[in-house]
Amino acid sequence: MSRRLLALLLAGLMVFALAGCQDQSGTQDGTGTPDTGNADQESAQQPSGETAGIAKEDLKVGFVHISDPSDKGYTYNQDLGTQEMVKALGLSEDQIINKFNVSEDESCETALRELVEAGCQLIFATSFGFEDYVLTVAAEYPDVQFCHATGTQAASSGLDNVHNYFAAIYEARYLAGIAAGLKTENNHLGYVGAHPFAEVISGFTAFYLGAKSVNPDVTMDVMYTGEWNDPTREAQVAQALIDRGCDVISQHCDSTAPATTAEQNGVWQVGYNADMIDAAPNASLISARIDWGIYVTYATECVLNGDPIPVDWCKGYADGAVYLSPLNTDIAAEGTQEAIDTAAQELVDGTRHVFEGPLTGVGEDFSGNEITLDIPEGEYYHESEEQSAPSFCYIIPGINIVE
Amino acid sequence: MDSLINLLVAAVLAGTPLLFGTLGEILTEKSGNLNLGVEGIMFMGGVAGLAGAYYYERAAQDPSGLLALLIAIVCAFLCGAFGSLIYSVLTVTLRANQNVTGLALTIFGTGFANFFGEVMAGQSESGYAAVGDTVKAAFAGIHIPGLSDIPVAGRLLFSYNILVYLGVAAALALSWFLRRSRKGLSLRAVGESPQTADAAGINVTRYKYAATCVGGGICGIGGMYIVMVTCGGIWVHDCVGGKGWIAVALVIFAMWSPARALLGSLVFGALSIMRLYVPLGIPTQLYDTFPYVATVLVLVFVSLRRRRENQPPASLGVPYFREDR
Repeated sequence: MSRRLLALLLAGLMVFALAGCQDQSGTQDGTGTPDTGNADQESAQQPSGETAGIAKEDLKVGFVHISDPSDKGYTYNQDLGTQEMVKALGLSEDQIINKFNVSEDESCETALRELVEAGCQLIFATSFGFEDYVLTVAAEYPDVQFCHATGTQAASSGLDNVHNYFAAIYEARYLAGIAAGLKTENNHLGYVGAHPFAEVISGFTAFYLGAKSVNPDVTMDVMYTGEWNDPTREAQVAQALIDRGCDVISQHCDSTAPATTAEQNGVWQVGYNADMIDAAPNASLISARIDWGIYVTYATECVLNGDPIPVDWCKGYADGAVYLSPLNTDIAAEGTQEAIDTAAQELVDGTRHVFEGPLTGVGEDFSGNEITLDIPEGEYYHESEEQSAPSFCYIIPGINIVE
Repeated sequence: MDSLINLLVAAVLAGTPLLFGTLGEILTEKSGNLNLGVEGIMFMGGVAGLAGAYYYERAAQDPSGLLALLIAIVCAFLCGAFGSLIYSVLTVTLRANQNVTGLALTIFGTGFANFFGEVMAGQSESGYAAVGDTVKAAFAGIHIPGLSDIPVAGRLLFSYNILVYLGVAAALALSWFLRRSRKGLSLRAVGESPQTADAAGINVTRYKYAATCVGGGICGIGGMYIVMVTCGGIWVHDCVGGKGWIAVALVIFAMWSPARALLGSLVFGALSIMRLYVPLGIPTQLYDTFPYVATVLVLVFVSLRRRRENQPPASLGVPYFREDR
């Protein structure tokens, strides 16, 4: 009997609690309406002219990272950029809020909201899979600027406060490819790719074209690991490439495993994201790297001054957004540095382009239909000019995808 | 022919860390302890093995590769055994739930190794905790003049690093131990029925501790293999990456027999690298499921045949309370 009474009481309590909840959300709506009105006004001001900007000491910048700097790869590089920005602009460390080890799911949305609530006026999301969550949260907070690395949807989203950025890493890969093209003894290169995405394809094609620019006979095998970071798999793929006869291995994946595997087999390697010479001094020739600090500093300055941030931003070798780690002169072929310097100068001058015609290739669009590329002599493929993320997704002759 | 040899060599190399993990876990499970912390223990062994070789190489005037190899093995074994000691104290003495303790140990070991690996990397000038050429050479494939030069057999049998041979020796020794030695038979009795073993005068607690700690030590060597051979003697964040879990699956695949673990780890190793050598034109994800499909098939097959020697130890996962008898 008493149990039944208790149940009744509890049920009653729940009804009241529910009613209470509704009340609360009602008041939130009430206060919410003028808020959005306010925001509308502000966002209406933005395109017409520069807003007042933000005092340096009031600025808060948030970062959402997929890993943490201890990965010695992608996030480590991103975080170097953050530190560069803090130093360049004279901010204090507590004005930066980092969210590390955020996976590409709802936890990204939570992390973004936490950053907004913590008062960030500018938020960087650094992984490709964060994009949908960035768009969702950005639509709700038009006052906060969101910058998303490697993404593609800022322009098409119609949101003024979402921006995409990337660096023209293909230029650095092209230059690194020169070191490989000069070093290879059997003209057979190997490439450990992560996924068959445009970002990876654009990268290895540039690497191959760089090698080909100094060594016309060179061919390249590409194998995918299916993971951005899986050292065992990377080592196994590198070994498989070496077993196929490749004598210079390059990579679009995070760890040093391809470098050490190349060293174990007495062949050479070209790295990415980090200077790998200390990991494999007898194998690592050079590495292509991104300096994220250039953009992060620029975007933060824009917010401080109240300037608009471009929807898509992609700078390359000429602006220092991509660069090469020092050449391993102990093992590199003679004349490598000179060849790289010449090509770099021509890239900067605009007399040479990475994806230069004549260039043909075959690719797949998003629905799996075959698309072809045919660039005539004298023209070039405009990689990363309209949108910041790489779009080159064609397999050109000389490159063999092993699947 | 060449690509077949390449495939087999790569399969052996891919299977060796799994072999160590599986052998360690078989020994552990034979005592009735289901230690799901293999992944964490492999991480701990990996970072300790690297630390041993790395600091020895830096401290020694004229480092010897063989000594570095021994130090790495001993450090990995001790650290793996230490991880299992934590597990044993919690599950044998304090009788905590074995599954929960094992999972906690996986999380602990992963964090432990990444933390110390990064401390080592952070303290070095280059930002990498990497061993030098002398130590790398000790973990490279051996070359026996004459034997290694035999056309096909030379590469297939006499071209691996020393740890591969150590793994095979450990499997044979463990197989003999569990089937032929008095202590091994006592250990199996503990795993099947600790009450009976206790009544027969076998010290159940001591056996459980010893088997779990030695088993953990063997798992630790598997982790060390990943760091020193697969990753080339350098600390790579999250390097074990799930191999410990595959080892747990392999124990079932091998049906608790160390000899079959040899075959099982070779099969799993081969399946894990097959797509790199035998392109079938099917999606990568399908290839990745092969080892697990094989495990499921073995489980179905074993449960259909229901042979007594293919069953798990009867008291597996159950804590032993002497007072319950």
